[in-house]
Amino acid sequence: MHEDILKEIKKGNRDAFRHLYDEYAGYALRTAKAITRNDELAKDAVQEAFIRVYRNISSYDSTLSFGAWFYRILVNECNRLLSKEKKVVPIDTSLMEGNPQLTEPSEEGVTDLYGIIQHLADLYRIPLLLKYIKGFSEKEIADILNLNQNTVKSRLFNGRNLLRDQLSLMEMEGK
Amino acid sequence: MDHMDERIKKEILKHTEDSIDQLKDEIWSHLDQELFQEKSRKRIKMRKKSKVIPFIITAAAAVMILFTTQTDTGMAFIKQIKDIFVPEKEIIQSIEGTEEPTDVVLQEGKDAEYVIYIDEERYKLIKGEDSDIITTKEPLEERYPEVSMTIEQFKNITPEDIVASKETELASEYSKVTATESVSDPVEGFKLHAIDGGTEWDSPVTNVYVIDNKNGGSFVITEKYFLEAAEGHGARFYAMLQEFKIVE
Repeated sequence: MHEDILKEIKKGNRDAFRHLYDEYAGYALRTAKAITRNDELAKDAVQEAFIRVYRNISSYDSTLSFGAWFYRILVNECNRLLSKEKKVVPIDTSLMEGNPQLTEPSEEGVTDLYGIIQHLADLYRIPLLLKYIKGFSEKEIADILNLNQNTVKSRLFNGRNLLRDQLSLMEMEGK
Repeated sequence: MDHMDERIKKEILKHTEDSIDQLKDEIWSHLDQELFQEKSRKRIKMRKKSKVIPFIITAAAAVMILFTTQTDTGMAFIKQIKDIFVPEKEIIQSIEGTEEPTDVVLQEGKDAEYVIYIDEERYKLIKGEDSDIITTKEPLEERYPEVSMTIEQFKNITPEDIVASKETELASEYSKVTATESVSDPVEGFKLHAIDGGTEWDSPVTNVYVIDNKNGGSFVITEKYFLEAAEGHGARFYAMLQEFKIVE
């Protein structure tokens, strides 16, 4: 995001904020839809993320790329809404790292690649969604998810392998 | 990008494109209403740091002289600290509107660079490699959000730089971050406050205090608790923090 636009947003310039919105909203919505698997939650998450960005723009520290900061807020918001929706305590899935069977239990009705992605555990699913929707680098995904870059690299690698295996299995079964 | 990558990307984009334009319009309409129909907007402004000198205990020169004469210097220095500060005392803290006398015990932090009095009936100090954590003596049930007070020192980062990065960090993790302010109580320094949600009993709350270590660096104290515990753990952390002293 261009420095001048950010400066104008800090001053409360509506047109500058609209510019930022137009640049970020499309992919933000796609990302939120994919993470929450729900259009209404995605809409709420994106809306809240932009409100938080506007209200906290003075707190933005340029040592983090603006994109990474924005998507960190967005992903946190998606997770917050999902937790609220499910009323469950988030599980620390990092403890399950390395388990090859990290897909969700029920795969009935999964007939395409997108369905397989959406059945992956979040520790693989979310980095993959960030990589393929917006094209974030491993470093950027690490910044967004507050993870070590090597952890992201390994999760992307393993997630992609899981996808490939599940896809082969599905194609062999003639789904 | 190989064939598999292209296929994954295409599939995700295909499944997330429905109603994007309509949703974008609806969201913008809401944002415009909420953010720009108000005449004034809240901006986080960090007030200039107070000129009041932070309360730092400078250990007497005699202590340093003694310190250099000991064979086991580390232990000797800690002993000197314990000689300066009484090992136990009673403080009066206000818990849910009631004045409560509480016995607190002196603890020295990592490398004896600070001291704090702990309410050891309820809390314990766990010393770590990079930071020390004060947490409940008995672990809380899983349904409760984290309750802790972390004390860490950044020897080469100024309070202003810490504040800037903490503001960014909090803004990305909590839904409401209030303006950073200079405070003189419970410690002299900057205070950042954030809450996530804010309407439910278990909404996570954090207070971050950033204190000048008077040597080019900072102490950062991060309190974590939840909304319903503000007058319990929150008040007890506040009282303990009033007893935090930097040893120079």
